[in-house]
Amino acid sequence: MKTHYDVGIAGYGVYIPTYRLPTTEIARIWKGGGAGPNKEKAVACIDEDSATMAVEAARRAMDMAQVSKLGAIFVGTESKPYAVKPTSTVVAQALGQHFVLAADMEFACKAATEALQVVRGLVGSGMIENGLAIGVDTAQGRPGDDLEYTTGSGAAAYVLSRSNPDTLATVEAGVSYVTDTGDFWRRQTEKYPRHLSRFTGEPAYFHHVETSVKQLFETYGLKANDFTYAVFHQPNPRFPVEVAYRLGFKFEQIKTGLLNPIIGNTYAASSPMGLAAVLDEAKPGERVLVASFGSGAGSDAFSIKITASIDEKRKKAVKVSDLISKNIKIDYATYAKFRGKISR
Amino acid sequence: MKLSISYWRLKDRYYRLVGVRCEECKNEFFPPVYVCRRCGSRSLTDKEMPKTGKILTYTELKETLAGFEDQEPMLLGIIQLDNGVRILGQIVDTAAENLSIGDRVKAVFRKIQEHGSSGQIFYGYKFVRT
Ligand SMILES: [Zn+2]
Repeated sequence: MKTHYDVGIAGYGVYIPTYRLPTTEIARIWKGGGAGPNKEKAVACIDEDSATMAVEAARRAMDMAQVSKLGAIFVGTESKPYAVKPTSTVVAQALGQHFVLAADMEFACKAATEALQVVRGLVGSGMIENGLAIGVDTAQGRPGDDLEYTTGSGAAAYVLSRSNPDTLATVEAGVSYVTDTGDFWRRQTEKYPRHLSRFTGEPAYFHHVETSVKQLFETYGLKANDFTYAVFHQPNPRFPVEVAYRLGFKFEQIKTGLLNPIIGNTYAASSPMGLAAVLDEAKPGERVLVASFGSGAGSDAFSIKITASIDEKRKKAVKVSDLISKNIKIDYATYAKFRGKISR
Repeated sequence: MKLSISYWRLKDRYYRLVGVRCEECKNEFFPPVYVCRRCGSRSLTDKEMPKTGKILTYTELKETLAGFEDQEPMLLGIIQLDNGVRILGQIVDTAAENLSIGDRVKAVFRKIQEHGSSGQIFYGYKFVRT
């Protein structure tokens, strides 16, 4: 998928809530000891939800982008505060942007890269000047379920504009791949999602991510060596490392964007936040691969090339590493209260 | 229901800290006023307040109003924004023992209240230490 005009990243912003639940706490309550595959996960406070975190990430992205008008705002999430009533209009109002195409995108963990792909199309066709794509989730796992160890909260926002001397990176190419796969789902009135444990690996995550990345390589004549960095969706600490090896990448290329071990799986925000961690460090001319995965199932893969503006733009960045290190640990009871698992 | 409608009208105030600036004496006010309190001018325009400031004073509420019990103990502070405007606001993501007068803070977007699990959610500004 190529655009008529070149599309670049004008600004990015991340939000990670302050609170962390060590996975030893989950194990203490449900399994009697040990820990999860990841050390900690980020937990939204009692007064935070996908709308508040989307606004915080969006404000940071807008602050860096320094564009006055947006033509589109898309929020990718599977934890909408309302079943009916868009999250994107809350973001629009909070940014004071009203003449925008605004909608919520839904596709499990790839809702945000879907939003990126659509905004890229709108900017790249010349229909709008600038657009905002946000990935945000306050992911929940059923208490005691394997999912509970990794489901975290966070947001990442990107302002895309037609490539110009101020855009910090160019989205060179992108592909999307989907099939009807029932690896993970949540019916309308259910609070927690269900999944087919082992089935979430080979036929779901690995098949879709490998296919989209190979398609990107074939279509645009790229190979693993062409990329300084690679970011994959991170449902747990193991899958992204495994898929990277299978596609010919070395650990060196993925370690900067690998955040699951310390904040968990932030769902729609997962790969976009990994990209932000890379943009915090990358140098002009370097290339980044981003490949998402969303259950149900599909993967979007992008090739992004850093421009000479990165150093100047980055002065405005609130670094992902700073957001990760500034935190407050909580116990399981506090987490249960914050996330509505108990109430008076 | 009454709250929903008055709240909806004031959204830019709660979401973006939109106050006013006097075109005559350049003083800024939040919440917005219709007549400048310094010079009496009626020439006022909407202006988004700066999102950063410092704590002038604060208190910890062990008991709050109905509907806010889940957030007890609640920290309330008087914040002086960087344009000099003073504003009352909730301080979150910290405990009273970590706060000091003069601490730098910034406005963040949070849930203020929600009407149970079926009613509307009301958003607005709160403050966190920077
Ligand atoms: Zn005046």
